[in-house]
Amino acid sequence: MPQATGTESFILFEIAGTTYAVRSSVVQQVQMIEHVTPVPNAIPVVEGVVHARGRVIPALNLRVRFGFPKVPFDLRSRLVVINSGGRLVGLVVDTAREFVFIPDTSIEVPPDGLSKLSGKYLDGIATIKERLILILNIEQVIDVSGLEDMAAELPS
Amino acid sequence: MTTPDSEAPDNFGEQFLDDYFAECDEHIAAVRRHLLALDQQVGEGRIDSALLDELFRSFHTIKGISGMVGFREEEQLAHRIEDTLRAVRQGDVSLNVDRIDGLIESVALLDRRLAARRSTAPLPVLPDEDAAAIQPPDAAAGTAGSGPLLTFSIEFTPTPALAERGININSLRARMQEIGEILKSTPTVKGQGEISFQFQVRTHVDLMARPEWNSEGVQTKAEAHVPDIHRPAPKVASSNVVRVDLVRLDELIRIVGEMVTSRARMEDQVKQARKNLPSPEWRAMFESAQTMARQLRDLRDGVMRVRMVQIGEIFDRMQFVVRDMARESGKRVIVNVIGQETEIDKFLIERLMDPLLHLVRNAVSHGLERPDERRSAGKPPEGRLTLRATTIGEKVSIEIADDGRGIDVERVAERARATGLLAPGVPLDDARLLELICYPGFSTRVEADRESGRGVGMDVVKSTVEALTGTLSFSTQTDQGSRFCIEVPLTLAMADALIVTVCGQTYAVPQLTVREVFEVEPSAVRALERNEMIAHRGSALPLFRLSEFFKLTEPHHSRDRRFHVFVTGTGNNALGIAVDRIVGHQEIVVRTIGDSLVQVPGIAGATDLGDEKVVLILDVPALRRSALQERMMRTGN
Repeated sequence: MPQATGTESFILFEIAGTTYAVRSSVVQQVQMIEHVTPVPNAIPVVEGVVHARGRVIPALNLRVRFGFPKVPFDLRSRLVVINSGGRLVGLVVDTAREFVFIPDTSIEVPPDGLSKLSGKYLDGIATIKERLILILNIEQVIDVSGLEDMAAELPS
Repeated sequence: MTTPDSEAPDNFGEQFLDDYFAECDEHIAAVRRHLLALDQQVGEGRIDSALLDELFRSFHTIKGISGMVGFREEEQLAHRIEDTLRAVRQGDVSLNVDRIDGLIESVALLDRRLAARRSTAPLPVLPDEDAAAIQPPDAAAGTAGSGPLLTFSIEFTPTPALAERGININSLRARMQEIGEILKSTPTVKGQGEISFQFQVRTHVDLMARPEWNSEGVQTKAEAHVPDIHRPAPKVASSNVVRVDLVRLDELIRIVGEMVTSRARMEDQVKQARKNLPSPEWRAMFESAQTMARQLRDLRDGVMRVRMVQIGEIFDRMQFVVRDMARESGKRVIVNVIGQETEIDKFLIERLMDPLLHLVRNAVSHGLERPDERRSAGKPPEGRLTLRATTIGEKVSIEIADDGRGIDVERVAERARATGLLAPGVPLDDARLLELICYPGFSTRVEADRESGRGVGMDVVKSTVEALTGTLSFSTQTDQGSRFCIEVPLTLAMADALIVTVCGQTYAVPQLTVREVFEVEPSAVRALERNEMIAHRGSALPLFRLSEFFKLTEPHHSRDRRFHVFVTGTGNNALGIAVDRIVGHQEIVVRTIGDSLVQVPGIAGATDLGDEKVVLILDVPALRRSALQERMMRTGN
């Protein structure tokens, strides 16, 4: 598909049956999940650390981030490595496989009624071939500074 | 880490600046060394002109490169120092203690400004140009204006019309001499017999802002940089030094580290192949593997050596501090430097800088006495400060010793007992004394004096050293002086580590932090109130369970099984850290964990053992601190 003006490329992935999209420009790589090393006393959204490009980076579990129950990794599980201004963060997702172009015209502002769902980390909603895709604001997704309180069970 | 494509022209300027700062650092380090030598020579009344030349060369270069990166104030400052040095070289002024002080102050200011530039902190303000010490004697005379000293090229083409209005070559020359100095004048004959004059003028007046200097017949241009024409520009000695970004070096070390792990794996495989291969074939393979191991060790050492810098530069910097402090406090100090050629990891030495400076400041302001005090104590009036560095195996030891009054043990004890840090009747040995003076907020001096009361305190010194997996030790004797000794590993990039498992998780423990390991029978654990203890070597060793601190649970984890304990710390500070098993011993490559999301207490970094899985490295000093806090909370202290 040729890239026309007003069209951006996205990586699609799934969590709990919902399809999400991130701009492919921020995706460094998508890799299979082999081993994530748990980090003791890290906040719950942190699955652990992995190697990526010679660096040790955090892996966030998007199921936990979005309030879904955790599931064990399987062959379809993927780690989507995001490069946000030089910071590398891995996102654990149920599966990721598609690369699509979405024209600006197909992206709408999320309706207010949806704000309870993935709330402020949504950039918009796109409809492609009857399929609803939630477009993520990746900065908001990986900014978990407000979640530090959840780590309240720090060693006393 | 930057990927090659992100090093595109965007951050070209940044890279260029890195080079600039690195070059300035080198020159300032050399300047410090030379100024110290010069300072001594002034005292002895003989001045080595080669030193002056070296200094001049350094400032000349700093001036030039500052101009190139557009740092006008630094350029100006270097220029002014250069002017002073030129006057000294020409014999126009003599070098005395005050002038040396002025130079040292200017260097310190330059250094501070560069540091601020680098960190984009607010810049220290340049002093007024009439600050006497760095003012060249001839510059003030006959100059108007107070702007920076600039050079202009002026072209004058005389015409009869101008001559009628009184503008001729002589009047112009007089005007130029009024405002500054004519560096050069060259007449040029143009095509039709027309003649013009080119001048180079150095002045504080910004001629570009004066219309009369750019009027009929006169053309003025600003010149960025004019080489000194009184003397040929000093040649900068060509050097064989290559500057390398530490990040790139880290990458090399990482690769070498991976090879070290792969080789360890290969060694196992070679051992296993023994039963399947005919002996001669196996022996050949075994020998190749041995050779490779040796070569790899050499390669590793070679790469490591690149990271090493001599500690002498840091010692020079300290001598500066000492000199300043001695002058301000009226004390006399002789600094004894031993082992300045000792090499230490660049990363380490940068982090040790503040702690070392703190110890030196402490020694001068609290340790050493005033000359009269010293005389009445039967000591020579000059205090002696010894800075000594030595390499011991894989460690570097840095010692800072003074022959001053020593720490007032009674006063410390009194204060410690008053604040409840020391139980009555407990004797105060050197180790306990060190613990007390390193206790956050503990200081025998209530008033924070200028020299030692700012920046880091002893608690920060201790925690910094420990964070670098080093140790701090101390001894003191009344009227004999005090001695601090810092021991750190030669490099942090690689370490010997114990590999331990807890609840199915694997961790690496830097071996330097471990004193001994042993196996424990669960029935040997005693509960003392809510603390667990084990009898070990005739005393009670507090037990710290890693599984509890890390909140690890696993079905296989049983409290009835024998487990391993490693001991960290000595004497009263000793702590036994309980893990399930100690499964091995390996050389690891230490990687930092950069993301704050995964920086947690008790974890110092990460490594891998050759299978791509991340293995976390325990931060043993932090674990010890946590254990101490826990114990205090349990006992309601």
